[in-house]
Order: sequence, then structure tokens, then C-alpha cells
Amino acid sequence: MIKHIIKLIWNKKKSNFLMFLEIFFSFLILFAVFTFVVSNLRMYQSPLGFDTEDMWLAHLSFPSELDSATVADTKLRLVRELNAKPEIISVGFTNSITPFSGSTWVTSNDDNGFDLQTWVVEADEHYGPTAGVNIVEGRWFNEEDALGKYPAVVFNRKLWEEYFDEQPVLDSIYKLNGKENIVVGIVENYKYRSEFEEEYPTTLFHKPVHDAGLASLHIRLQPGTSVQFEEEVNQTIAGITKRSDFIIENLDEKRKDNSRSTWIPMITLLSICLFLILNVALGLFGVLWYNISKRRSEIGLRRALGATADNISFQFISEIMLVTIAGILAGSFFTLQFPLMKLLEVENIDYYYAMGLSALIITVLVLVCAFYPSRQAAGINPAIALHED
Amino acid sequence: MISLKDINKVYRTKTVETLALNNISLNVPKGEFLSIMGPSGCGKSTLLNIIGLIDEPSGGQVSIDGQNISNYNSKAIARFRNEKLGFIFQSFHLISDLSVIDNVELPLIYRKVGAKQRREMAEEALTQVGLKNRMRHFPSQLSGGQKQRVAIARAIVGKPSIILADEPTGNLDSVMGNEVMDILLNLNNNSGTTIVMVTHDESMARKTNRLVRLFDGSQVQ
Repeated sequence: MIKHIIKLIWNKKKSNFLMFLEIFFSFLILFAVFTFVVSNLRMYQSPLGFDTEDMWLAHLSFPSELDSATVADTKLRLVRELNAKPEIISVGFTNSITPFSGSTWVTSNDDNGFDLQTWVVEADEHYGPTAGVNIVEGRWFNEEDALGKYPAVVFNRKLWEEYFDEQPVLDSIYKLNGKENIVVGIVENYKYRSEFEEEYPTTLFHKPVHDAGLASLHIRLQPGTSVQFEEEVNQTIAGITKRSDFIIENLDEKRKDNSRSTWIPMITLLSICLFLILNVALGLFGVLWYNISKRRSEIGLRRALGATADNISFQFISEIMLVTIAGILAGSFFTLQFPLMKLLEVENIDYYYAMGLSALIITVLVLVCAFYPSRQAAGINPAIALHED
Repeated sequence: MISLKDINKVYRTKTVETLALNNISLNVPKGEFLSIMGPSGCGKSTLLNIIGLIDEPSGGQVSIDGQNISNYNSKAIARFRNEKLGFIFQSFHLISDLSVIDNVELPLIYRKVGAKQRREMAEEALTQVGLKNRMRHFPSQLSGGQKQRVAIARAIVGKPSIILADEPTGNLDSVMGNEVMDILLNLNNNSGTTIVMVTHDESMARKTNRLVRLFDGSQVQ
């Protein structure tokens, strides 16, 4: 029966070609959208590696004319006074590479005997506990690190896996930018640019809290602290730094704003896709309906020659399904080139998920659209259909 | 072979009720070539459809080969039609997208005959109607007479015991009509196939064993 149906499809290749093209292009469009969506959702699922709730961030600036001792005094006083407030759990500093700021510092070298590229962040000994960074090996920085022979670094698991094959690295020397550093810990994740971004090999360098280069103040609040407290913090910072050119940002709001730039195109594309699917469904339904009405006498004949209603139904569903499979296979041939040739910076698994999802949605759509017309075809009275010509 | 007892057929719409067949009783013994004649709309085709089990009577009983078909479900009727009956239509009803041989194989597909055996049986049927050399052609490449011969090959390929022909020469000129009629007569004479033929053509009807006339749904002869 299947061979017979394939023969019938082949002999009607001109009329089937349009449907084949419709399936083919639908598959490609769905694949593109699903690759974008699946890839983003997969990245979204991997944790940021730090907390954003009950976290405030203030970008301070220390004029260059201030000597380092004054800056250190100011910063230490700021830490002391902020920590003294019951609403604040802790504070820590980083350089200007802060979460969701869009700033990035990337460096690469082969000082360690192999090519290495890493994103770089500088942080003090208080930042890790303040931000809730998840240490998986070793420890976060401490005050003694500033007194050690080598500057201390912590890097993320991604860097550890990619460049050190998860071999023991604690207390070993890690060279970067011509300097030797000592590895004191490994954090699980540190995905600071966006929730919708791949984890990238990242190195966190220790700088002591009083270092003038660390001007981004991270504040961890008691849960439920009211927004009015921001005014008090603002006055405290302004009073100590004698400056007012800073703003306090809610890190969680910043995260949401940052994610919105991905959620909106994703939802828009999915909505367009849904519209496309509806159009394809209506088109398929119409084509199938038209085909069946054009082939009433053939249906009558087949029934007269011994076909059961199920045979007729099976035939019409099989015809459309075989054209669909051909369209999906042709689409898969093209889409497979993306993972095989690494055409975009997307994980292969995302492509395969997108292909599977596209194929599944098109198959279900075609089955749903074919079901009712094929049942109608099966119900055609052969005695009437055979006398309609 | 074929036994119809008190067959009635009524077509109903919301407002009109039309009596297409009125208490038709008919026996067609094995090997008979019966023709049915009558004016248009007298119920000839309806009667043939009921014999061919593609339409159900409103009342009465249909028995074929001694089996009361009224008790059969739709699947059993489909199987019965496939194995016991062959159909020939005035407008041939060949599937234009299938080659001649594929058209002829059609009943065997529903009988689940294997591809090789199907091909052999179809070639044999086409040889019987003198069209083996045209088996790769498509219906659009054939004349009316050739198309009807393909339809006959399709009707006989499954070696049915009964052939039902609905005006098989109706769309053909006299030469081609006679050719088709000769094939049917040969089938009847040589294979003992029972044939029931609806026709408007008196000369064709006279070549058959028996003639039944219908008028307004009733048997008048």
C-alpha cells in the first residue's frame, strides 16, 4: 500500500511540490526560531552564579587627585558605616565590570603554555560572600591574600574544565598578563553579562577592599528591606565620599531589564511562528479539502474495489504524511549543515532540539489537519461519488 | 448466485421521498449474462449498486453465493466486494495519475496480494483484453475503447465470480462498443463469470442471456 501511495505521490509530483515547499520552508522558519528560543532557554536555565535579590549596586568614583590613602580611608569608613546598619548584611567592591552593565574585559595569552582566553573581573575579599558566589573548590579571597607573594585569583568551573581539564589547580601558579597569580578557589558559575548568555571562562582577581580601582559597591540587604532605605544609603554614601554623582540600582531590576531585551524578541518570534503555524494549518486544511473534493470519484472507485473506510482514511493521511516527511527530510538536510559546519556560535544540542521540535510540530500539525478531511473522505458514499462525473 | 428479494430503495430529503426501487425480486443464476434496461431514472444503476453492495436497500434482502449480505459489517462487505465482484463503469473511472498496470493492480492491493504476484496477475488480465503492450501508458494516452478494456482488466484481475457493468458501452462508438461487448461475452462464455449489465443499447442487451426491464423502479419484464 505504501509503495502504491509513493507511486501516486510521485506521479502527482507537480501538485505535491507546492505542499512539499510549504512544509520545507515552514520547517526552516520553525528551525530558525526554535534554535534561537532553545538556545536562549538553555542558557537561561544555567545559574548566574550570584544573587540578585536584595542586592543593590552603586557605581562610585574617586577623583584621580585623591591619594590612595584617602581613598582607602574613605572606602573603609564606607564599609564600616554601611555594615553597621541593621538593614545591610554585607557590602563588597568590584571594578566597573559589574553584572548586567554590558562592560566586559577579555584578555588572552599563552603564558601558561597554552592559548587561554578569559573574561576578567576584579573583586575584593567581601564581594564573594556579599554576592552569594558559589565556591566549589578552595575558598573566596581573604585579607591575607593581599599580603601574599602572588595575587590571588578565583576562576569559574568553565575555565577550569576548558583549560585545566578539572585537574587540581588550587595553590598553583596561573599566569595572566605577564604576571604570576595563585589560584585560591573555583566558583561554579559567574555569568555576569546576561541570563541569556553562555558561561564564559572567567577569572576573578583579588584586589583589597581599599583599592581605588574597585569603585562598584555591592550591598546585600536583609530580605524585605523597603525601598525607602535607599535614601538613607544614598545619604551615607554621599556624606562619606562627598560626591553625589552616583546612583543606586536594584540588581534584580537590572537583571529583569537586561533579560527583557531577549524575552521580547523571543516572544515576538514565537508569536509570529504561531501565526505562521495557523496559516500553514489553514492552507493545509484547504488543500486537503480541495484534493478530496476533486478525488471523490477515485474514492468511490476505491471503495467499490474493496477499500474499507479505514483504507481510504489511511491513504489520504499517508499521502500527506509522506510529502511532509519529504519536506522535513529536505529541511533537515539544510539545517544539519549548521551543527556540522559550526556556522553559528550555538551549541549543537540546541540545533538538534530545534530540528526535533520543528519536525514534531509540523508532523502533529499535518496529522491534525489531515485527520478530519481524511475521515470525511472515508465517509463518502461510493454509489453517489461514482455517478458524479 | 445473486438473489434479490423484495428490494426497495427510497431516497429521502427533508421534503421529498423518492421511491427508486419498488419490490424488486430477482435471481441471477451462476454463469448468466443478464442485462437490465429501462429509461433514465428508472432505477437501473441503483439496482446495480445494491447488487454490487455499494448501496444499501431500504428494504428487502440481498444474497450472493447463498450468503445473506444484510448481516455483514462494512469491513466484511468491502472484503466481499473485493473478492467476489468486479465493476465496469460507463465513464471507466481509471485513476489518471496511475499507469495502466497500476490501475489494474488496484483491487489486488486491497486484497494484500504481494507485489510480484500482483504484477503477474495484472499482466495476465491486460493480455486477456489485448492491452499488455500499453501497460506503461497512462489513461490520458488511451482511446475510449482502450480505457474501457483497462477497466475490464481491472474488473477481472481478481478473478471475481460476478461482474457488474454499468453501461460499459455507453461512452463508446459502435465499433469499440462491440469490441468491449465481445470481451464481456467471452468472459461469460469461457470463464463462466456471471455478468449483470445495465445498458440503454437494445442491440447489446439482445446479445445477453436475459433481459430485465425496469420502469419507475419496478420490474416490468
